[in-house]
Amino acid sequence: MTTSQTRTTTRIGDGVDADVRHLIPEGICRTFRVLPYAVVDGSVLVAAADAEDAITEQVVAERVDRPVLLVRHTVNEIVAAIDEAYPPVESEVETPEARRARMQMAQMLTRSGLVTAEQLRRAMLEYARTGDPLGDILVSHQAISEDVLVAALSELHQLQRVGLGDFEPDLKVARRLPEPLALRLQAIPVAESEDVVLLAVARPLADDDVTEVQAALGSSFRQLLANRTELDQLIQQVHSVHYAEISTRGLMESRPESSAHVVITGTQKAVLVMTVVALVLCGVIWPVNTLIGIVGFCSFIYLIVSVYKFRLTLRALGTHLETDVTDAEIAAIDERHLPVYTILVPLYKEAGIVQRLVRDINALDYPRTRLDVKLLCEEDDDETIDKIVSLQLPPHFHLVVVPDSLPKTKPKACNYGLQLSTGAYCVIFDAEDRPDPDQLKKALLAFDHVPSNVVCIQAKLNHFNQDQNLLTAWFANEYSMHFELVLPAMGAAESPIPLGGTSNHFITSTLRELGAWDPFNVTEDADLGIRLHREGYRTAMIDSTTLEEANSNVGNWIRQRSRWNKGYYQTWLVHMRNPIGLLSQTGLRGFMSFNLTMGSAFVLLMNPIFWGLTTLYVLTQWGFIEQLFPGIVFYAASAMLFIGNFIFVYLNVAGSLQRGEFGITRTALLSPLYWGLMSWAAWKGFIQLFTNPFYWEKTEHGLDEGSS
Amino acid sequence: MTAQLSQPEPTVTTVTTVEVVTNRERLSGVVQSVGRRPDDIPRRWWESALVFGLFLVAYAWFGYWLVVDMHVVGFETLDRFNRALMIWHNDPPKLSSVGFDYPPLTILLISPLTVVPALASSLIVVPLASAVFAAFTMVTFNTMMRRAQVLAPLRVVVLVAFGLNPLVALYAASGARHFMWLTFVVAALGALFAWYVTADIRFVMIAGLAFAIAALSGYSSLLWFVVSAIMVGAILARLGADGTEIEGTTVGFAAPTVYVIALWSAFNLILVLKPFNWITASSDSASSGGLESFSAVELLEYTGRLVLYGAPIAIVVLPALVFAGIARRNGLALWLAVILFLSIIVPALSVALKITDSPMVMRNALPILLFSMIGAIWLARSAGEGATLVSALLVAGLIISIPWTFQAMKTYKYQGLESTFAAAVSTRQSQEGATTPDGSTVGYVSEQAMARWIKDNVTLNSSILTDNAQTSAVILLTGDPALFFDRVDKSDGPWLAAAKDPAAHVDYMLLSTNSSADLLSNLYEDAVDGSNAFLTEAYRTERYVLVSVPSGFRRGADSLGDQDPAALSIPGQGITTTPVEAADQ
Repeated sequence: MTTSQTRTTTRIGDGVDADVRHLIPEGICRTFRVLPYAVVDGSVLVAAADAEDAITEQVVAERVDRPVLLVRHTVNEIVAAIDEAYPPVESEVETPEARRARMQMAQMLTRSGLVTAEQLRRAMLEYARTGDPLGDILVSHQAISEDVLVAALSELHQLQRVGLGDFEPDLKVARRLPEPLALRLQAIPVAESEDVVLLAVARPLADDDVTEVQAALGSSFRQLLANRTELDQLIQQVHSVHYAEISTRGLMESRPESSAHVVITGTQKAVLVMTVVALVLCGVIWPVNTLIGIVGFCSFIYLIVSVYKFRLTLRALGTHLETDVTDAEIAAIDERHLPVYTILVPLYKEAGIVQRLVRDINALDYPRTRLDVKLLCEEDDDETIDKIVSLQLPPHFHLVVVPDSLPKTKPKACNYGLQLSTGAYCVIFDAEDRPDPDQLKKALLAFDHVPSNVVCIQAKLNHFNQDQNLLTAWFANEYSMHFELVLPAMGAAESPIPLGGTSNHFITSTLRELGAWDPFNVTEDADLGIRLHREGYRTAMIDSTTLEEANSNVGNWIRQRSRWNKGYYQTWLVHMRNPIGLLSQTGLRGFMSFNLTMGSAFVLLMNPIFWGLTTLYVLTQWGFIEQLFPGIVFYAASAMLFIGNFIFVYLNVAGSLQRGEFGITRTALLSPLYWGLMSWAAWKGFIQLFTNPFYWEKTEHGLDEGSS
Repeated sequence: MTAQLSQPEPTVTTVTTVEVVTNRERLSGVVQSVGRRPDDIPRRWWESALVFGLFLVAYAWFGYWLVVDMHVVGFETLDRFNRALMIWHNDPPKLSSVGFDYPPLTILLISPLTVVPALASSLIVVPLASAVFAAFTMVTFNTMMRRAQVLAPLRVVVLVAFGLNPLVALYAASGARHFMWLTFVVAALGALFAWYVTADIRFVMIAGLAFAIAALSGYSSLLWFVVSAIMVGAILARLGADGTEIEGTTVGFAAPTVYVIALWSAFNLILVLKPFNWITASSDSASSGGLESFSAVELLEYTGRLVLYGAPIAIVVLPALVFAGIARRNGLALWLAVILFLSIIVPALSVALKITDSPMVMRNALPILLFSMIGAIWLARSAGEGATLVSALLVAGLIISIPWTFQAMKTYKYQGLESTFAAAVSTRQSQEGATTPDGSTVGYVSEQAMARWIKDNVTLNSSILTDNAQTSAVILLTGDPALFFDRVDKSDGPWLAAAKDPAAHVDYMLLSTNSSADLLSNLYEDAVDGSNAFLTEAYRTERYVLVSVPSGFRRGADSLGDQDPAALSIPGQGITTTPVEAADQ
């Protein structure tokens, strides 16, 4: 219950009760000019500059769980008391001019009926938390359109507006402002005369920016306010060739040794050929011993890959290895200090799930005004582009159309989007992803908790449609083991982590320094994880999950998995071009970890051969097979068959239990059947490595029951 | 959460049937702790390592004295070591030497100790085979006591008092297999103890894995596994877990044990066409037929004696657990009471059901003692502030039981090496040649002498035909199973063929002189008593005889044809050797 009065015997000048002065957060106190200062007869007295304002009354009442009495005070009295309760940080306190502009904006919009009191109240509250422009907040929540805001700003700042919707730019003029500056200031020249350039801007430029632009243009200019979405599209249009060039060739030219554009180097080919020749020669001279050697070598690979994985999972079962972020820490975040966060969302032929994507991103616990969401579409995907345009999304969603060129891969689209990114941090989500709402904040806090060489925070992935069929349940079992046990252990051991396809959060500047993703690698995520490790950077895990759609269709699953395996082979070949270099950069442990991790893809190739031999032997007792497994080889193979296989089945069970997914525990017991599918996909990927190395086997999303 | 304005979000045109919930929501109804680590005792690797190291060294040292100096070691232990040795050093190495007589892990787990044959044949590593597991049991007890908040000095005293128990010391130091399965059962119960305290689901998985290993180390573990599986489900149900959680947890708990038993049954099916051969042929559970018969009163009497002499603390612990379980609604106490009670009645039950060949033996008190310890530790934890008092009572009980059990070991009617052990400890004299209450002779001098002769005189692989089931100690002590043509090498069929026509396969036959179970001795009884003219004695000890097999010799033949055995004798040595060896010399 809230009442107000103008006169009371107890005034703020009599002193502020320390027990109540922090009942209302600082941002709200300063925004609404209120401060609790005393308790009289069970009521909290709150000094208010505008004690009759209904919004102020409601905001205060929502935050104080006792009866409240608003007592009118002068602005000066209240501000002085707030400054005492919350000693001001100069850069964080709203200037009188800014306050005036905000109030004018609020009045303009409410008086004209463009926003309701409730919309304004919520926007003011968000403003109190973030300090972001009120108009931007209203637009981000689609309370008003960007055009309305531009009109209001035009009025406030007395600047002309310009519509860029159908504008055909003169590229020569438009490129007068260097691209980095244009991107940072969200400004682009749209016309010029002899002595003045007309510059479309998203917001009036600050004085320093004006000087910088003037120096860059070499002439004076006049600002024209533009719709941010239209301006963003124009900047992309003007610089698309540059962006496309960098996104495709950037890594290839700056670090050719790290690019998978060459599948197998000449040296690798020579080694491969010599190995094959040597094996054939040995096979001719000592056929049985050669076969025994091959079987022994494969068994050895099997054994060490399995032991390594088992060791990792055991470690994860024994200790909490993720970087801890508590709910209290998240609640204590001062949103005024949150950086802009870029979310890259590659989409291809996924018009059907755009709405769901928008809904889920808007559900993130992060101020929308500080989100920079890049919806990355391929130029030939008219359906998805049209869908996004038709939704008339607020400006924190950016439609990015990637020009049609080869290779047409997700990493190339991400590279393209990264160049347009304005966030200090960035993350990739797939179109169907449903991240935990607090994931961005968790990642930010995790970056604070980890050593400075950690430049990537990987969240866990799992599936929301695990109960759809046996395949999705197996997929969830596998992900539970991988993300609950294997990756946390690798992160804690500071081993090179093959990043998951999505939900990896980066420091944007470091990502750019690293050359971002390799557009020629079809598991660019795994490759990047290794690359950043080679550069001395590390990856940590957080306990936050992004739910994805598990592939529910076998054919679709095989396509996706074959791409992953092909990418693993690519990644292994790329980083093993210079094994000594890799060893010196990652150390022996990192080197072993990399090879054993990638080795799992090779083990999948071997599985059907060994299963076949075992089955054949059981059925025929063929002595030749027995000959291939002498002594220690037989023991290693038997251990893998009877113990190793079970251990991995059980680790699937353990991963699911660890995650609390009790319903899919029993399906984990059938995972050997799933391994059969994995081997099928591995062989497909392996063959494709030679026949079509850069082909991106697209995964069809939206196959879950009731996709929306 | 970011404030939501009233402007409607883009309309979703189709309705999803997949309800997506956040992790927090999803886990809200789960009674166990998943995905996070609940509060628990801090890890102290150094303390566990210290406990393990100290007890390992103590039991290994004591075991060396017991086995190598006092010659107190069971035939079964040497047989298992021989099988383990064959895994690596047979020609070719034979995993099938594991066989079905013992639970497979009782051999596989000690196989690393036989990688170096000289160590195995010297018997130095024999005590390690049990000391490692006993030391691990001590670590588990120590961790349980930490969880029970027993003070460090008391923990030390409890462990020392328990470790000095003569029954524990015997089985921890003599290389016997019983501590193997008991270690894993105790580890499993310790994990469930931790699960009950912390609700951390990891402990259910650890318990499940420990039971799986225990099952293949001692089949009687399966009983405790079944009881535990029921109790896991019951406890979860009592805590209000839903059906999915109970099912998932129980599957996670039971899967390892079910898997290993299914796999072992499949092996049995493939190899001997009897899927349950492992249980029916096992020395753990198979009745040898000539059992002494017990009346119900006698069973009751010996059950009482077993508890009274072997694990007297159970007399106090069991009623206390029942009281705590019923009066204080302490679920784990009740469960431990059930387990302890079962461990007490199982020896009598197995006699009644005729599924044991060693009825009411004193070693049956070992599980009772171990489960009593677990029960007492739980009682200490449940006592809250009275934990110290309960711990002190436990210490007192354990200390009193040391001389009590020691005295009982000398006279208890049904036993293995207990009285020999007691005699060795009392007199500090070698027990070589001593006789146990069941009539077995203790020691291995006879085997050592035969092994030494073979090592000195035989070099050709597979040149000595023998029934390894009866001569395993000799084979072990040579450290070179490749010298022998035994039943493991090519299975029983080819071995029997060789036994009927030994000259075609071997140069010698090693026969045991006092075992009616030796298949080869049964075939060549006259060679055992030295009356076979053709099978001349190469070397004889009290329990074995090695005979030379001349060329052309066939079982049951009257002559050797053209072959004259004397022609192959080496003058001055009085032994017969093979043409190859003769040529070498």
